[in-house]
Amino acid sequence: MAIYNKESKLSDAVLDNPQLIPVINRLGVSLGIGDSTIGSICAKAHIDSDFFLSVVNTFIDKDYFPVNARGTFTLEKTIDYLEKTSRFYKMVQLPNIERHFTSLMMRSGTDNNLGHLQTFFIEMRNQLSECLTYETDVFFPSLKKGIVLADMERVLSGHAEVEAKLHDLLYFFVVHLRGDYDRNLCMAVVSSVFSLERDYSQNNRIRSRILFPIMEEMMGDAIEN
Amino acid sequence: MQLRIEMDCEKRIALIGLRSLESLGVRSVIHELGDLSVAVFSDFRDFSPFSVKTDAYVVSGDVFIGNMDYFMPRKQKTVVVGNGGGAGGGRQMPAMIYPDSDESEIQAALRGIVASVKEDDVIPGELSQREKEVLRLIASGKLNKEIADELCISVNTVITHRKNLSAKLGIKSASGLSLYAIMNGLI
Repeated sequence: MAIYNKESKLSDAVLDNPQLIPVINRLGVSLGIGDSTIGSICAKAHIDSDFFLSVVNTFIDKDYFPVNARGTFTLEKTIDYLEKTSRFYKMVQLPNIERHFTSLMMRSGTDNNLGHLQTFFIEMRNQLSECLTYETDVFFPSLKKGIVLADMERVLSGHAEVEAKLHDLLYFFVVHLRGDYDRNLCMAVVSSVFSLERDYSQNNRIRSRILFPIMEEMMGDAIEN
Repeated sequence: MQLRIEMDCEKRIALIGLRSLESLGVRSVIHELGDLSVAVFSDFRDFSPFSVKTDAYVVSGDVFIGNMDYFMPRKQKTVVVGNGGGAGGGRQMPAMIYPDSDESEIQAALRGIVASVKEDDVIPGELSQREKEVLRLIASGKLNKEIADELCISVNTVITHRKNLSAKLGIKSASGLSLYAIMNGLI
C-alpha cells in the first residue's frame, strides 16, 4: 500500500484510491485538482498538509499510524473533518441507500426476504444517526471547551457496533438473499452500503488514531495542571 | 436428467445440477472409492426435500453460486464442478474440479469428501445443538447472564459460544445473529 507525502501528486493518490474523493472534499479540495503535488495543493488552499496526509494515509492504509498526531494536529481540525463526515453520511449516503432500498422493495415484489434486510438496515441507520448526533451535539462541543466526557468508550463501542452491523448487512445480501428481486437495484443498494461501510470503518480508524490520542493528551494535561 | 436415488447405503452423496456425462463420471469414481449411496438431482429445488438425509455434495458451479448460504457452511463436504479449467478452491472455498481436470485431481477431490463422510457425522461449520440453543436465546433478546442461567452453563461458556457462532456464520453483531435465527426458522 503506497504511503503518500507532500511530493506525491494528489491525482495519483485519487486515481489509485477513488474512495478518497469524499475524503478530499471534506478536507476542502474538490475534483479538477490538476497535476500538482499534495504539498502545493494544500498550500494554495490553506490546508495543513500534515493533517491532510495523516487523514489520507490513515484512510487508505489500515496499518498506517500517524506517529506525530499528538501536538501536530489541532482538535478543531480533526473535529471539523469528522463533523463534515457525519453530515455526508446523514445528508448523502444514508438517504442514498434508503432511496435505493425503497426502489428495490417496490420493484421486487414480496417473494424474497428483502423485508428482513430492510428492517436490519433501518435499525443500523437509526443507531448510526444516534451515534453521530450524540457526537456532534454533545461530545464534540464538550471537547471544544476542553472537557473530555467520561463516555469516550461508549462513543467508540457505539461506532464499533454500527460498523459490525454494516458488515453484517453486506454479508446478508451476499450470502443469504433469497427469492426474486430487481438485480440492478439490488446492486445499487449493495454498492452504496459497501461504500458507506468502507468509508465508515476507515473514519473510525481516524477517530482512534488521530482524535483519541489528542483527547488523551488533553486528559494528561488536565491531570498535570 | 431424471431423479435417481440409490437407497441401499446409509451415507449419501448428492449430485446436484451436473450434466449427464459429469454425473455418470462422478458416480463411477465415488463407487470406486467406497460403499456410498449417490442421489442425483437436476437442481437445488428437487434436492431440498432430501437435504437432511445427505452427507456430502457434488454440485455444478451455478447450483453452488445460487445457494451459497447452504453450501458455504458445508464447504468441507462439497465439491464444485466448474465449467472450464481453473484453479482449485482456496482455503475459504470448497474443492473444485473441472471437466478437463486430470483424473488424479478429480479422484483426490472426491476422495476428500468421501473420507470426510466416513470419518464423522458432524458437518464442520454447521451449528451444534447447543450453539443453536444459544443463538435462539440471543435472538430472543436475552443477556449473557440470562442465557447462562437458562442453560446452566457459565457466562464464559456463553461468550465462547457467541464467538464460535460469529466465526461459523461470519456475522459480527448480535442483531445480525438474531436476523440469521429468524431467517433460518430457529425462532
